[in-house]
Amino acid sequence: MNDFSELENDLRALRPARPSPVLFERIEEAMAENYKASAAADAGPKIKWFWRFTETPYRFGIGLAAAAAAVILLIARINTDQTRNENTEIAQVSPSSQTRPVLPSFSGRNGVNGSMSSNKFVPSGATQVVYNTRDEGLQFADGSKQPLRRLRYQTQQTWQWRNPSTGASLRVSYPSEEVVLIPVSGQ
Amino acid sequence: MDNIASHEDWKSCFSEIGPGLLLFARQWTRSAADAEDIVQEAFVKFWRRNHKINNRALLYATVRSIALDFIRRDKRRARREATVVADADPTIEPQFKWEDEAQSALAAAVSCLPHDQREVLVLKIWNELTFSEIAGALGISQNTAASRYRYALANLKKSLQPQ
Repeated sequence: MNDFSELENDLRALRPARPSPVLFERIEEAMAENYKASAAADAGPKIKWFWRFTETPYRFGIGLAAAAAAVILLIARINTDQTRNENTEIAQVSPSSQTRPVLPSFSGRNGVNGSMSSNKFVPSGATQVVYNTRDEGLQFADGSKQPLRRLRYQTQQTWQWRNPSTGASLRVSYPSEEVVLIPVSGQ
Repeated sequence: MDNIASHEDWKSCFSEIGPGLLLFARQWTRSAADAEDIVQEAFVKFWRRNHKINNRALLYATVRSIALDFIRRDKRRARREATVVADADPTIEPQFKWEDEAQSALAAAVSCLPHDQREVLVLKIWNELTFSEIAGALGISQNTAASRYRYALANLKKSLQPQ
């Protein structure tokens, strides 16, 4: 079947030269560097996020933002409750065909089947604009020998909600400050 | 985690395939040192992505790709290697360890094969790739790989026949 089998056997008997031991060492070194690099890449973001959430100015910023959002949502809820009450009164005196586009699920004087959905705001957008970045130099964390670069970002955050039933939208915008510590590797 | 295990595994893997890999890289270089550079870069790059040799065609394709990049890096080298790779230049020789005159003649005959045939022969004989894997590594069809292999053997047989 194969008239080259003898030649193939002769070729297989011919052994290629082995790589030099230096090549082994070089690959080992490259693998070790690669392993260190991937380990550093794994550790890097963890440190960064740890510091992000424990840094006092940032925590203060989050608290301030949460408080502002809570107040605005509370005001918005009061407003929409008032609107609903007004609409209910209109529905009582107006023909149902006139109120249906605004509050489609009202079924009568006591019927409030769809009224809750009209007050529901769903998130529709969020933006964070960094308008200033300041490099505050290198520092050492507690017990760490690795220097960390301290960067301060000043941002303007904007959150938007939209009521799909009424088309009303709600927008909250507030300044915030974020401090990030980035590990610096020496050359 | 996985990296630590594979960091040790590569040694046994490389001891097995290293000689064949180096011989394959020699198809584009004159010196063993250049071939070792190519093999190192290709093997580390491949291992970093895959962590094991489960796709040999891809490994050899990586070696080939890096070898071609290696040639392109230096214009002067590229010109020189282009003439070498063109066809049947006896100055480029796969590195073999021969034990007698017959093996020496066989090694010389292999080095005189056209480049495309020698490439397939090296992958088939000394790297034990299937025609399907060779086709994947070289970007050719299986039929082309098989026919190049047969042409290589036929040419070898012809050149080794006593005049």
